[in-house]
Amino acid sequence: MKIGLEVHLQLPTVSKLFCSCSTSGNGPNTSICPTCLGFPGSRPKLNRRALEMTIMISRFLDCRISERSWFSRKTYFYPDLPKNFQITQYESPIGVEGGYSFNGKIVRITRVHLEEDPGKIKRVGKSGEEVSLIDYNRSGIPLVEIVTAPDITSPSEAREFMADLLIELRHLVGLSERDEQTVRVDANISVGEERVEIKNILGLKNLERGLSFEASRQNKMLKAGRRIVRETRNFDEERRVTTPARSKESEEDYGYILEPDLGVYQVSSMAKTVQVPETPLKRAERLSAEYGIDRNSIRQIVLTSSTLTDFLERLCSNMPPEIAVTWVLGPLSSNWKYLERSLNEDLSNRIENTIQMVIRGDITDSEARMRIGAFARGGGAETTQDSKERSSLAELVSECIDQTPQVLFDFNSNKRAANFIIGQIMRETKGKYSSSEIVETVNKEIERRLKDRVII
Amino acid sequence: MKSETIEEVARIARLKLTETERTEFSKDLEEVLEYFSMLDEAPGEKEYGLNPIEILDMLREDEVRREIDPELLIRMMDTFEELVRGPRLV
Amino acid sequence: MFSELIDEVPSDSSFKFNFSAKDNLCTIDFQTRAGSRILDGYRPPFDATPVSRLRRAGGLLIGKTNMDEFGFGTFCTNSGYGVPRNPFDIERSCGGSSGGAAAAACLLEDHLSLGVSTGGSISCPASFCGVVGLTPTYGRVSRYGLVDYGNSLDKVGILARSSSMIKNHFPTIAGSDPMDPTSCAQPTLDLDDTQIDSIAVPREAMENIHPSVRDSFLRALDIMRDQLSIDIHEVTIPSLRFALPAYYVLATSEASTNLARYCGMRFGVRGDDVTQHFNDYFSSVRSKNFGKEAKRRILLGTYSRMVGFRNRYYLKALSVRQTTISDYARVLKEHDVVATPTMPFIAPRFSEIERMKPIEMYRADFLTVPPNLAGLPHISVPCGYVDSMPTGMQLVSRHWSEGTLLNIANLWEGVFQYRFPGAQQ
Repeated sequence: MKIGLEVHLQLPTVSKLFCSCSTSGNGPNTSICPTCLGFPGSRPKLNRRALEMTIMISRFLDCRISERSWFSRKTYFYPDLPKNFQITQYESPIGVEGGYSFNGKIVRITRVHLEEDPGKIKRVGKSGEEVSLIDYNRSGIPLVEIVTAPDITSPSEAREFMADLLIELRHLVGLSERDEQTVRVDANISVGEERVEIKNILGLKNLERGLSFEASRQNKMLKAGRRIVRETRNFDEERRVTTPARSKESEEDYGYILEPDLGVYQVSSMAKTVQVPETPLKRAERLSAEYGIDRNSIRQIVLTSSTLTDFLERLCSNMPPEIAVTWVLGPLSSNWKYLERSLNEDLSNRIENTIQMVIRGDITDSEARMRIGAFARGGGAETTQDSKERSSLAELVSECIDQTPQVLFDFNSNKRAANFIIGQIMRETKGKYSSSEIVETVNKEIERRLKDRVII
Repeated sequence: MKSETIEEVARIARLKLTETERTEFSKDLEEVLEYFSMLDEAPGEKEYGLNPIEILDMLREDEVRREIDPELLIRMMDTFEELVRGPRLV
Repeated sequence: MFSELIDEVPSDSSFKFNFSAKDNLCTIDFQTRAGSRILDGYRPPFDATPVSRLRRAGGLLIGKTNMDEFGFGTFCTNSGYGVPRNPFDIERSCGGSSGGAAAAACLLEDHLSLGVSTGGSISCPASFCGVVGLTPTYGRVSRYGLVDYGNSLDKVGILARSSSMIKNHFPTIAGSDPMDPTSCAQPTLDLDDTQIDSIAVPREAMENIHPSVRDSFLRALDIMRDQLSIDIHEVTIPSLRFALPAYYVLATSEASTNLARYCGMRFGVRGDDVTQHFNDYFSSVRSKNFGKEAKRRILLGTYSRMVGFRNRYYLKALSVRQTTISDYARVLKEHDVVATPTMPFIAPRFSEIERMKPIEMYRADFLTVPPNLAGLPHISVPCGYVDSMPTGMQLVSRHWSEGTLLNIANLWEGVFQYRFPGAQQ
């Protein structure tokens, strides 16, 4: 199976791509101006930050940066598109011929380019008198489009690839946390010879569902001895099926021409001044290679916090990495939320010394754990017990899970992982709540968290 | 220009042509395109620009500015509850 | 000649001068319809930069001048709002597309007309109406607020009775404007007098010219040589003949995308039935409100950039433009200006225009198109009178050398007397 993706992501600039309107409107059509409404005589003016972000993403994806880049007009008629053409890039994308290493292979990146988002169709009016009702706040928000070669081999891999990519881009340019739901993807998929394009899939869940449906549809057709025709389909979120898209009757010929209002950008020379910071998963890869740390463990650490990873790097240079990882994944990880708040050179030294003392055999493992727990409580003046009695059961459960997040990871494979939390709450509340009440609250909280998080 | 061609071009350009217009335009465009065909023999340069002069690296900073009150623009348009009204989609 | 005029000129004299703007320049206080029915009633929420700059300099905008719809025409007969008539002979055309602007400049004393040229829309009407028309270098004057025809070709300029009036006000409208990035690549405007030594006359430009127009141009060259001591050299620029088709391909390609936005939503006229499917709604609004020439150019431009034709027409035209620019540069390295007649004939009668086929009208622009395609500054000055109708001479100089043009026009005005209809009566 071959899957290629065309990913559209909004870039988190404060102003739009070609005008100075805010990217966060407060109510419909509150962030609009002649440019993003396409009024006659208005002109586009390119946002420097959006261009820099696109260069950064292109570099991160190992793309070759175009020496000269410009914009083009893609003409098609639609009520949400103010000029009835979209300013996008055609023959000179910012980046080309890159690659992203993932699941032990390279997914080739064909191109990375910058374009404007159309407005948003909010409602379609009353039945019988359907019209389109449009909010142009979204019109002109910068979008980066990332196109991959058909190097992905399954719907679940497509989702994992996207999830990883989003983790990286979130760190790189600061995408919004909602991107997993709002990312728009066009996917092409072929199980045999001919490929089918699924247009406009919203979010990662739908991406996997749409591709799975399409894969089985194509497989069934091939089994039945039928041919797959090259076509464009839409994904119906409610029915979870793909359906053939517009008929040939209304096919557009985009008739690309150059956009003269913006001129040319010497992007490769601009790229020299753009720094690409190390992203979490790249860092995980590096640390895994440098210290021989197991991939899953290091991934768990970098996803917990970048300061925790900093601390791991510090420990690794002064002690055997496997010991450092054990401590970081264990007591440090569960207490990190609190330790991080008062983290300074002194505290860092105290934590490291504590672990060194265990290594030398000066103190026992559990004594060290207690000490670290005490550091987390800020010296232990107030016991956690006191504060916990004041909290509700739900808060206690939540706090407890915060301190031992690995429970979430374990829960997927073994539901009994919840018992650890249940036991702890029972001990701490000393019969204040019934056991069934505690079991229910814990399970509910764990499931809620797992639902919200796609990556574990 | 063939009748089907002009019909297809008109559809892409969202123009509905009357029978008279179609006949007239196909003749006009035929003549113009025949004239354009001299471009085939024209010496062209390999490198060319978007503009007759070079316009390089024109950028604005990522700052929010409001030049015209959106309220004024909404009032100019056909709206329903602040949403701009347009034709049917399907 | 005006598509909308001020009700009453205010009696207080705080205004230093009067001016008008071609109707494709946005103005807050007048409709801006660009000669098109599809923009009927449109009042822009902002002023075009050249307009606001002239107002700030003490100018009073007295009205908007009529034009061919979106600039599509050579004779100003393609407006949705009537046809302006030539001040020298009302049976004849003003020229296009800034026809109203040229007529106003001719009829009103001390009047400054803002015009716009894409392929000759300042030179042509200036020549037919016997006024001076300066088309600046592409990117010299901000296009913010200009209703687009072809964005890589459009230039805002000035028409007036004399080059000195233009010289006085041109610095006001020129200069970088952050609202139009393409205006920000320009060097400082320099209008200091320069020595004019040599004029190049391309041989290709002397073919297909009406004999009397040709004679009047040659007489003008003689005066330049004899009285201004400027050398006249015949040169050859073979690529000039490809400029016209290249121009029409580029201009219509760009225009067909610019005009896509007029669809009965957001601005301009609305359709009758918004519950129609959008394809039908857009098509019916557009078919009803665009004029014939606009439709013709939309079709031509759409075709030129379609898959399968794009390489042959659109991309080829871009590369031909580059050749034209290089060829001019070669000639202008040796000479100060390139001179040609502006139009191959005097202002035609409306009855003659009716009989012309579109391709014949397009071909009438063969002298004004090349400098426009190349983005070179040019000026048209009256250079003679044939049958009481003015003829024009077009002078082209290097990019950014508007000073050279205003200087030579000023010298010309020292040795040649312009005529205006009012003065003769």
